[in-house]
Amino acid sequence: MMRLFRHIYGFLASRALTPVVMGMFLFLYIGLAFFTEEALITLIGLVGSNVFLIILFALIPLNMGVRLLKEVKGHFERRRALLGEMERVPQGLFDETVAVGGAPSFAEAERRLAASGYKIHVSGRTLSAWRGISMFPSRALFLAATVCLFSGILLSLAGRSSYRGAIMEGELLPSQSGQATDVVERITLEPAAGPILSKVLTIETRPLPPDRGGATYGLYPPARYRGAFVYPRYMGIGLYYRFTAPDLPRDYASRSLLGIYPPGKEDRRDIPDSPYRLVFSMAQPADGSDPYMTGRVTIAFKLLKGKDLLMSGSAPIGGEFSRDGYRLAFPDVRRVVVTDFILDHGVVPIWAAAVLFVIAACVWLPVRLLSPRREMVFISSKDGVLHACSRAEGRCRKHAGVFHDVLDVLEAAIV
Amino acid sequence: MAANIIETGGLTRSYGDICALKPLDLLVAEGEWLSVMGHSGSGKSTLLNIMGGLDRPSAGSLRVGTEDLLALTEDGLARFRREYVGIIFQQHHLVPYLSAVENVMLAQYFHSVPDEAEARSALERVGLGHRLQNRPGELSGGEQQRVCIARAIINSPKLLLGDEPTGNLDHKSTLMVMELLKELRAEERFTVIMVTHNQEVAAWGDRTIYLDDGVLVREERNK
Amino acid sequence: MVLAYKLIPHLLAWAGIMLVLVRGFAGRRKFAAIAGSIGFAAGAAGTLVLLQTLKGDTPFAVIKILLGGGFLFFLVISVVALYRSSERSASAPAGRRERLANSGICAVSAASVSGIAAGAVCACCFTGFQNIFALSLFLAAAAAIMAILILVMENLLPKAFVVSPSGLAAAVSALLLFSSSSLPRLDLFAPLTMKVMKFTHDFVHQFFESMLIPDHMFFTSATWNFIGLLFGNGVGFWGGLFIWFAPMVLVIAALAFEQIPPVAHIRQGAQRRKLMAAAVRARRLRLIVPMCAAIISGGAVYESNFPSVEYWDPKPLIVSANPAGEIIIPRKGEVDLEDGNLHKFLYKQGGKEARFFILMPPSGELTVDLDACAICKPDGYGQAEGTVICYYCKTLIPLETVGKPGGCNPVPMPFTVKGDGVHIDGVSLINTWSSTVQSTARIKGGGK
Repeated sequence: MMRLFRHIYGFLASRALTPVVMGMFLFLYIGLAFFTEEALITLIGLVGSNVFLIILFALIPLNMGVRLLKEVKGHFERRRALLGEMERVPQGLFDETVAVGGAPSFAEAERRLAASGYKIHVSGRTLSAWRGISMFPSRALFLAATVCLFSGILLSLAGRSSYRGAIMEGELLPSQSGQATDVVERITLEPAAGPILSKVLTIETRPLPPDRGGATYGLYPPARYRGAFVYPRYMGIGLYYRFTAPDLPRDYASRSLLGIYPPGKEDRRDIPDSPYRLVFSMAQPADGSDPYMTGRVTIAFKLLKGKDLLMSGSAPIGGEFSRDGYRLAFPDVRRVVVTDFILDHGVVPIWAAAVLFVIAACVWLPVRLLSPRREMVFISSKDGVLHACSRAEGRCRKHAGVFHDVLDVLEAAIV
Repeated sequence: MAANIIETGGLTRSYGDICALKPLDLLVAEGEWLSVMGHSGSGKSTLLNIMGGLDRPSAGSLRVGTEDLLALTEDGLARFRREYVGIIFQQHHLVPYLSAVENVMLAQYFHSVPDEAEARSALERVGLGHRLQNRPGELSGGEQQRVCIARAIINSPKLLLGDEPTGNLDHKSTLMVMELLKELRAEERFTVIMVTHNQEVAAWGDRTIYLDDGVLVREERNK
Repeated sequence: MVLAYKLIPHLLAWAGIMLVLVRGFAGRRKFAAIAGSIGFAAGAAGTLVLLQTLKGDTPFAVIKILLGGGFLFFLVISVVALYRSSERSASAPAGRRERLANSGICAVSAASVSGIAAGAVCACCFTGFQNIFALSLFLAAAAAIMAILILVMENLLPKAFVVSPSGLAAAVSALLLFSSSSLPRLDLFAPLTMKVMKFTHDFVHQFFESMLIPDHMFFTSATWNFIGLLFGNGVGFWGGLFIWFAPMVLVIAALAFEQIPPVAHIRQGAQRRKLMAAAVRARRLRLIVPMCAAIISGGAVYESNFPSVEYWDPKPLIVSANPAGEIIIPRKGEVDLEDGNLHKFLYKQGGKEARFFILMPPSGELTVDLDACAICKPDGYGQAEGTVICYYCKTLIPLETVGKPGGCNPVPMPFTVKGDGVHIDGVSLINTWSSTVQSTARIKGGGK
């Protein structure tokens, strides 16, 4: 049983596991690319719906997690070795290990090491020396970041769901269960001053009944509504229009969600049970302002009967256009934001991973360049053998030179 | 009885009509300290240069250790000089803009790879642990020669050759250098061949040979 | 004479492959040479048979799959090499690995597969050659002579010049890709850049969606232009270069960062340093082959981007429409539309113009297409060796598929063939051209 556990642990802690699994997915992607133009989308869909592939992918964060634990264990074992709390150093803990017969005095070695800039610690039969800053914190952060990243991707692949709804001023916030309780009070689009975003969108809601405070939803980072991220996709307008034609028995009135923002985009609506079709667009104001921002919307339209263009014109909101018995009025318009509501538990871990990666890089770079960790331990065991171990996270050649020199000194002391 | 590290047979060196070294048969035992004396132009430096692989004989045979020097190519001679021989000259020939430890590391560089810790160690052995970063211009004559000794022995040569190493030193420095060489020889067990015109210096050796006009005229054991 | 001229780059590549195989399997050099030569002959003969029996692009697709598989195998080797060299503790010499690398089976397998691939690529120069038996014999003889010469020359190389297993894989891969890149139908770099472009486009979209990043209308134009670089043609080229050279770089990194064997057990400083220097020297010498392989891979990229093949690209003839707005081009008038060559035309109407071509593909039915596709910038098409090439993205489109829509195929136009020639509606031509060119221009760089 223990042997099995050791094998499993060895497998999960292997450095080769993640590259092998990623290689498998790479080959799967390449295979899919031969058969479809949408290889990446297909791969994402395949992984999300296939239990075996999910388990295979899950090996990556699991591997990183186990390696993190292994490195933490190794770090603390090395600390114990450096503090002289170990009689024997386990294999693989240090980069280089050599055994020399004899039990020398450490005095000269201490002097040499101190002269080379190492901090010394002598306890009992152990001499240890070190200098520099360990990269363990940045390494731990890096591994934690990879655990977060791949766990986040896994959660996203396996459990992401979304629904799309139109958020309209004055209407209830769309809810997947159909039990909406918040009303959209206002949608504002304003210019932004920063280097990245040119516009800022804000959606303000209030609860119905007003038993708690309202909520505000912005662009980034997206806020949550009933656990789902509110992800605005594009803007439009909810236009209430009334159409009258000589050959129609009655007026036709409708509030339609039109995707006619920004100005220039067209959207069309058929008048039911008639040959008429209306093609709407938003007129660009002469002063260059954004009608969505200002609320001063002028609707341009084309009226088609079959394939023939009967007339075209424009009218502001609240106005109407009439000619030859045809009348088109725009009593009201409301701002609309077509929004995706995304239920995805993987997003937060992925954001966390990004932050951890940045911190790990900020810690790693200066340490690696300026003061990498170098350590060595000399343990004089009771059976008259001197075990010497060395490890360097950078400036390896110079450290090895000092290590060999100290070994020479210790061996000379034995003789 | 120690094996012979150097064996020459009829070793000759001529420069045109001038015969600097007439056929010479010489045996040097391993670990021996041989002093070579003679007046100026007697062929002592010529003999030293040939033994150190710095020059080729015109005729004869020369075996140093397991190497037949006459059979070596230029590359082979260069390798022999790097790995087998350490040389100390009268002029120190240290690189003036490098520190003491860097001068020693230079010898390591041409041999294999530089190792600062080992170079520092070598300088500490010759008593210059406190002068590691000083340039040759900042060192006394005796200290410069000690750097040369460290440089000469850093690659663990089997043969240490000295061409009047104390020629420019005062009496006190001479004694210091000779004591040092004696200690190092006892530790490292290399063979020393030292050319000198100073009887006192020659007496530090196990044996002294006398050359005159390229001919070995006398040889005596020192006490 | 022309035959010999065509053969030179491939035989040189074969010589390079033979050299690294023979030096790489130093204990089995004769086995490697013989197996390689037999493999070359078999690959060449097999390919010539394939070219005769299978029509269209299929034989080339088979060989491209073989080459692509070899590249992926080399990528795996390079990752493994880097993984092994980056292990923290100085590991004991991998005796088992070395024995396997020098075993007869390994030498014969590697040499045979390399020979088959090299022979197959070489044979692809000779499409349309009838006497395949004579050609196979000629190629086999050329390969064998080259192998013998290399066996002799290899003895003259200094013994210190060693080829490591990863260096061997790098060199063979680079030489095969160099050899194949000189043939547009076997070139892997151009399709790789297209796939990279597509992947990058999909990945960025997916990333934006997954990370709930706002849509482009909310970004400043400077930011969006910066992001838009990822959708351009350049990302395919540079991404393709990255993938192309990645295995080479990994192998070089693996060799450069290989740990020096432990010397702490040696107590004499000079001896320790001598061992270290010898290890460093040997490591440097092992870098020569992968570095040369990287240069050769660069040569393959150059060949891919600047092929030596001459493309048939006639100057467009200017045509006009009759009063009914129809363009009529006689089948055998100023040009013979049924001669199997690409014939280009330019039509101008009302300040707008459209470029199109008429071609008789192997199916025997004329096709009329825009000299542009729905994806790339309208740089036009050229014709060579049974394919039509898009000048923008270098995609090769087999003649059999010209006239069918999709991918990088030219946009087909409706037309009719009557007694007086091919009839095309001028307004439809102009509108289709305008909408196609506008949609490709909307995407920065006009790429996918």
